[in-house]
Amino acid sequence: MEKELEKIEDQVRKSLADNLRKGFADRNFGDVLVVGGGISGIQAALDLGAAGFKVYLVEKAPSIGGHMAQLDKTFPTNDCSM
Amino acid sequence: MGRHPNIEVLTYTEVDSVEGEAGDFKVTLIKKPRYIIESKCTGCTTCVEYCPVKYPDQYNQEISDNKAVHVYFAQAIPLITYIDESCLYLKEKKCRICEAVCKNNAIDFNQKLEKVEVNVGAIILSSGLEPFDPKVKEEYRYGQFVNVVTSMDYERLLCATGPYQGEILRASDMKHPHKVAWLQCVGSRRVTPGENSYCSAVCCTYTQKQVILTKEHDAEAECTVFHNDIRSYGKDFERFYERAENLPGVRFFRSYVSIVKENPETQSVTIRYSTPDEGVKEEEFDMVVLSVGLNPPADVQGLANKFGIELNAHGFCKAIPSNPMETTRPGIFVSGAFQGPTDIPESVFTASAAGSQCGELLDYRRGELSKERIYPPERDVSQEEPRIGVFVCHCGANIGRIVGVPSTVEYALTLPNVVYAQEQLFSCATNSAQQISDLTKEKGLNRVVIAACSPRTLEPLFRDTLREAGINQYYLDMANIREHCSWVHAKEKEEATQKAKDIIRMSVARVCRLKPLQEFDLPVNKTALVVGGGIAGMTCALSIAKQGHEVYLVEKDADLGGTARRIHSTLDGMDVQAYLRDLVRKIYQHPLIHVYTDATIPEATGYVGNFVTKVKSDRGVTEIKHGAAVIAIGADEYKPTEYLYGKDDRVMTNLELEEQIAQGEERVMNAQSLVMIQCVGCRNEDRNYCARICCSNSVKNALKLKEINPRMDITILFRDMRTYGFSEDYYREASNKDVKFIRYEPQDKPQVEAVEEEGRRILRVTVTDYILGKKLAIDADLLSLAAAVIPSAGNKEMSLLFKVSLGPDDWFKEAHVKLRPVEFGTDGVYLCGIAHYPKHIPEAINQAYGAAGRVLTLLSHDTVTASGSVCEVDEDKCISCGACITVCTYGAIEFYDTPQGRKATVNPVLCKGDGLCNSVCPTAAISLKHFADEELLSQIDAAVGDF
Amino acid sequence: METVAPYKEIIDAIKASGGDAFKRCFQCGLCDVVCPWNRVRAFSMRKLIREATFGLTDIESEEMWRCTTCGRCPQQCPRDVQQIESGVSLRRIATEYGVFPASVKPIRTISGSLVGEGNPLNEERKKRADWADGLSVKAFTEGMEILYFPCCYLCYDPRLKKVARATANILNMAGVDFGILGAKENCCGESIRKTGDEDVFKRLAKENIKTFIDHGVKKILVSSPHCYHTFKNEYPEFMVNFEVVHISQYLFQLIHEGRLELNNEYGKKVTWHDPCYLGRHNGIYDEPREVLKRVPGLALIEMPESRVDSLCCGGGGGRIWMETPKGERFSDLRLEQAVGVGAEVLVTSCPYCITNFEDSRLNRENSEAIEIKDITEIIGEVI
Repeated sequence: MEKELEKIEDQVRKSLADNLRKGFADRNFGDVLVVGGGISGIQAALDLGAAGFKVYLVEKAPSIGGHMAQLDKTFPTNDCSM
Repeated sequence: MGRHPNIEVLTYTEVDSVEGEAGDFKVTLIKKPRYIIESKCTGCTTCVEYCPVKYPDQYNQEISDNKAVHVYFAQAIPLITYIDESCLYLKEKKCRICEAVCKNNAIDFNQKLEKVEVNVGAIILSSGLEPFDPKVKEEYRYGQFVNVVTSMDYERLLCATGPYQGEILRASDMKHPHKVAWLQCVGSRRVTPGENSYCSAVCCTYTQKQVILTKEHDAEAECTVFHNDIRSYGKDFERFYERAENLPGVRFFRSYVSIVKENPETQSVTIRYSTPDEGVKEEEFDMVVLSVGLNPPADVQGLANKFGIELNAHGFCKAIPSNPMETTRPGIFVSGAFQGPTDIPESVFTASAAGSQCGELLDYRRGELSKERIYPPERDVSQEEPRIGVFVCHCGANIGRIVGVPSTVEYALTLPNVVYAQEQLFSCATNSAQQISDLTKEKGLNRVVIAACSPRTLEPLFRDTLREAGINQYYLDMANIREHCSWVHAKEKEEATQKAKDIIRMSVARVCRLKPLQEFDLPVNKTALVVGGGIAGMTCALSIAKQGHEVYLVEKDADLGGTARRIHSTLDGMDVQAYLRDLVRKIYQHPLIHVYTDATIPEATGYVGNFVTKVKSDRGVTEIKHGAAVIAIGADEYKPTEYLYGKDDRVMTNLELEEQIAQGEERVMNAQSLVMIQCVGCRNEDRNYCARICCSNSVKNALKLKEINPRMDITILFRDMRTYGFSEDYYREASNKDVKFIRYEPQDKPQVEAVEEEGRRILRVTVTDYILGKKLAIDADLLSLAAAVIPSAGNKEMSLLFKVSLGPDDWFKEAHVKLRPVEFGTDGVYLCGIAHYPKHIPEAINQAYGAAGRVLTLLSHDTVTASGSVCEVDEDKCISCGACITVCTYGAIEFYDTPQGRKATVNPVLCKGDGLCNSVCPTAAISLKHFADEELLSQIDAAVGDF
Repeated sequence: METVAPYKEIIDAIKASGGDAFKRCFQCGLCDVVCPWNRVRAFSMRKLIREATFGLTDIESEEMWRCTTCGRCPQQCPRDVQQIESGVSLRRIATEYGVFPASVKPIRTISGSLVGEGNPLNEERKKRADWADGLSVKAFTEGMEILYFPCCYLCYDPRLKKVARATANILNMAGVDFGILGAKENCCGESIRKTGDEDVFKRLAKENIKTFIDHGVKKILVSSPHCYHTFKNEYPEFMVNFEVVHISQYLFQLIHEGRLELNNEYGKKVTWHDPCYLGRHNGIYDEPREVLKRVPGLALIEMPESRVDSLCCGGGGGRIWMETPKGERFSDLRLEQAVGVGAEVLVTSCPYCITNFEDSRLNRENSEAIEIKDITEIIGEVI
C-alpha cells in the first residue's frame, strides 16, 4: 500500500517536472525583448506587459535599476529614486 | 516589476547575437554565472558576512568596499547574491566559506556561462548611458586629488545606502566638507579631445538638486556652482533653480575653472576662476564635485554591431527626427538616454513610446502569450480582534536622518492592538514588501500601517502587498511621516520624532476601524478620444489606431496641424511641412480615425473606460463614447508688449520671422543686420518658467538666414543659452558662422529705439556686454523676439471638462513629473505635446507615442478595476433633499423610489470618492467608505486624546 | 557706462589677418583662469577676444602683446578659439601699421637685425659658428647623418654658447656624424612670426629652406624647442618636410642605442622644467625625464606644475625681446617652485627658458641656492 502511494507520488512529481520543462520551452517565446534594465527599460517592459505582450527584460548588471538606482533623490520633487 | 506575470527579468545577462527580422528575431543571450542558484537564494546575506574578500564596491562608485559575494545593492531586483571575479575560489581555488555557511545550499561554483535563445517579435534598446570619465583629462585631477569627486560619487555620498550611510564625508579625513564647489560641463560642451561637444542636458539641474540636498544635510554648508549657462529648460526647473540660488550660502558663478592644487595638510582643493570685473580669483574648497556629463553606453560600437543598427556622430543611436524611437533596423526600437542625453521623464515616455511602436508592429499577436496575475484567496478576518503590524520606513535618509525611527518603532509596540513593529530602510523595496507580506502571514496580522511617504505614489504597491498576504487590501493605512513630518521639520529632529509618533498613533487608531472593501471591474470602451489635431495629437491618434482602436480626433481649427503649420524646419533638418502633409494624409486615410475639425467640446462626462464626450462641429453635436482621452491641445505664442512689438512692423516674433523666411520675404532676405532677443515673456515674475525651445529656435533661424545671406549681421541677445543636448553643436555652428551672442542680465534688459541715421531707418538696440564692461549699440533692420510659448487659453476649460489639474504656470499637470509624465491623476486621461510644456517637434513626437503606449495599457484590457472607496447612502437617514446630487461633479448620485419614499443612491462606478457630498448632507446620511466618520474620528481622537 | 558700436571694418581686418577663430568664444573665462599672467598681474585674454569679436581692439594697447603663446588656454579652450593664432592676427595689424607700445619697441631693432644678420641679437652673421672654435665640429655636407642647428642664442649668447659646446661634445663622444651650417643659416623665425611680422618670418624660413635643400639636409637636430616647433609644424606650409629631432629626444635615443654611456655620478636633486614649445606644443614630456633618470646618482623631483600644466618662463611669443617689469616675471615664480621642492638644479632645454631663469636667479637674494642647466650640460658632465 505504502509503496503504491510512493509510486503515485513519484508519478505526480514526474508530471510536475514535465510541466515545468514544458514551461521552460514556452518561456523561450516572447513578444518583445527589452535590452537594459534602467528606468527606461523597466517602463517599456511594464507598459508592454500591461498591454498584453510577453516581455524579456535583459540587464547586464546583477540587478535591474540602472543608473537611476544610484541616485539619491530626483528633482524637482526630491522623491527617492528607488 | 518582480511580480509581473508577463515580464521575465534576466539579470547578469547580455545579448550575444541577433538574427532574423522584425516580427521574428532570434536572440542569443549569455547568462553569466552568478555562482548562486537563484531559486534557492533567499538574500539572507549570511554568505556576505563570512566572505573574507573585500574589494571596491561598484554600486557605491568604489568609495566603500564590498565582498566578493554580495547583493548588488540593498533594493536589488532580484534580491539575491552573486559572486564576482574577486572571489578567492574563482581566482585561486581556495576558501569556499560561503558554501559552508549557506543554509539553503544556494552556492554553486560549477555554474558556467549559459546560452539562452529567445524568439521575439521586436526589440527595444534601452541601453542607457555611461557617466563621463574625468580621468581622460588630467586637468580634472580625478583620482589624483582625493577630494575631487564626480557627481555620481557625490550622489552615493548623499544616499543613505551609500558608503557612509548618508553622511557626506571626505575620504581624506572622514570629516564633513563645509565648502563644496560644483564644476559644470565636465566632459560636455567642449571640443577638447576626449570630451563631448554636446550638452549633457541634465547636469545643471542635478547639481541644483545636490546643492539643495547638501544644504539639507548641513544648513551651514557653503555651496558654489561654477558654470557658463544654467540650463533649467525643463518643466518646473526654473523654479527649482531659483530655489537653489536663493538658499543662504549658495553662489552661482559664471566661469569655467581650473583645479590648481591640493593642500598638502588638509587635502582641500584650490580652484581658480575668472570674474569679469575683479579678474582671476583663487579659492579653497573642502570638496570639489565634477558635474560629469553623459556618454553613450560603454562599448557602444560593439552594441551597434550586435544589433545591426547605426550610430550618430556622437555614438548615440542614429534616429530620424520624425520618429526618434526608430533605429535603422526595422523592428528594433530605442528608448531613453541611448537616443541622446536625456532626463528621467523623457526616458520614461520614450519607453512607453517605443512600446507603442512595438504594439503597432505586433498587434496581431497581442494577448497570445500574456498571463494574468493570481492572488491567494482572501482570509476572512471580520471576526478577529485587530492585530496590527507597523512598518516604519527610513526612506534612505529622507526620514531616518530627521525622525528617530527606532524610537517610533518602540513606541508603536506600546499602542493598542499593535502586535508587531519594525523599521525598514526602504519599505517600497521588493524585499521589504516581501517581508511585510511574509510577516503578515507569519504573525497573523490583519491590519497593516506603513509609516513612510504620501499614499499618492505607493499606496497601490502596499495594497498589492496585502493582497499577496491574503488580507483585504483596504486594511492598510499609510502614516505619512515624510511629506508631513521629516521634510517640513528638518531642523527640529526631536519634535519631528514626536510628531511621527503622533501620526503613527493616529494611523493605528484608524486602521482598527477600517472595513474590508471590494473593488469591482468596469468594462472598457475600446475607443479613444484625442483632443487637439497638432503633431502630437495626430501622432498619438495614428499610433492608437494602428493598434486596432477607433480614435476620434477633435480639432478646434479648420485644419489639422496646430502650431506646426507655422514651423518649417527643425534644427536637425526635418522638413516640417512635408512631414505634416504626410501625417495629415495618413490621418484621413486611416479607417479607424474620425476627424472633427472646427470642433468644440461642450460637455464631457464619465470615467475611466467609460467616457461620454459631446463634440460640436459643422456636423452638429456628436456624442462619443470612449474609454480613454488624450489631451493634446497645444499652446499659444506670447504676444509681446515690450521692445516696440506691435508699434513698429520691423519687430516680430521668432515664429513670424520663421514664416517670413519661409516665404522669402524681401525685407528679411535683404536685411543687413538682424537682432534677436531671447526670453521675451518668460523667466520673469509673470511666467516663471523657461520656454525651452526659443534658444534653439533662434539659432535655427539664424543659421537659416546665414545660409541665405552669409553677409547678414545677426546678433542674439540672451540670458543663458539653453541649447541643450545635441543642439549645442548648432549653437557652436552659429558662432562659427559669425552669429554674435551677447549675454544680458534681467535687471539690465536691452533697450530698443527706432532712429534714423544717414537716411537709413534703423532699430538701435543697446545692450550691456559684461565682459567688455561697455554698452554695445547695435543697429538693426529687423528685430526678432523669442516670444515665450504660453499655455493655451483653452487649458482652464479643458481642465474642468476632463477633471484634470493645471500646474502653477497653467500647464497641464501630469500625474508624476518623473514617473508618470504622460498621464493625469485622473484615470483614463492622458497628455502629450506642448500642452504639457513647450517642446521641440521630435520631443512632441516622442511624447505622443508615449501617450499612445499608455493608452494601450488601458484599452488592451476588457475591464478596469474601480476603487472600493466610494460613497454610500444610509437610506434611513436620507431626507431626499438633493444637496448631494447638486454638489457631485461626476453625476454619480441620483434619486430612486423606495417604499420609504425617494432616496439618494450612489452609482459606485461614477463616484470618484471625493467626499463632497458627505460635507453637504445635513443628516450625515451619505458617507465615503474607507473615510467613514468613525474611521476619521478615531484618528482625530488619537491625535488629541491624552496619550 | 560707455556706449560703443561694433566696428565692422576692424572685425574684417582681424579676420583677414587670421583672427577668425575669435568668433567661437562663448566667454567661459577658462583662458583667463589658466593664463600665467593672472599670477602676476591682471590680464584678460577673454576681454581681448571679446574686443576683437566686435572690432573694438585698441591697437595701441600693450594687452595684445602680453601673450607668451605658452599654449595653456588653447589646450583647454572648450570652443577651440585658437588664442595664439588669433592673438597673432592682432599683432599683425599693429605691425602693419607700425604701432608699438613702449615695451614692444625693441621689436623694430630685432626685425632689422633678423633681416640684416639673420639673428635677433644684432650680432654679425659671419661669427655665427664661432661658438664651435676649438671643437672638432665640421661644416655640414650632404650625406652626413644629421644637421645640428643650434639656434641664434646658442651661437652668440655667452651663457648659451656653453650649451652648444656641450652638445657638440656629446655628439662627438657618441660618434655622431654631424655638421653645422654656420653663417649660412638664419634664425628659424618662430618668435618673430609670433610678434606678427609675417614678412620677416617668410623671408627667414624661405632662405633656411633653400639652404637646407641646397645642402641635402634630411634630418635636423635642434637645441631650441622654438626651432623644433617651426621646423616641424610651420615649415611644412612651404611644402617641405624635414625630419626634426630635439636634443632631449636625441639624447634618449643615443643612450637607448648604447651610443652614449653615462658613467659618472651626478649626486644632485634635479627638477625638469617642461618648455612650452617642447611639452604642451609638441607633446615631448617623457624623453628628457627618461634621460635624467638614467644619470647615476641624480634624484629627479617634480614641481607642482609640470608636464601639461608647466608654468611658462615668459619668453615665448616674442616676449624674450620685450621688457617685463620686475614682479611680473613668470620665471621668478618658476624658480621659487623649483627651490620649493628642494631642487638644487633646475634643468631644461630651451634657450629662452635658460635666459629667463638665469636672469631670475641673479636677481634672487640667494642666487647660489639653485643652478640653471641645460640637459646637455648635465649629460656632458657624466659621460
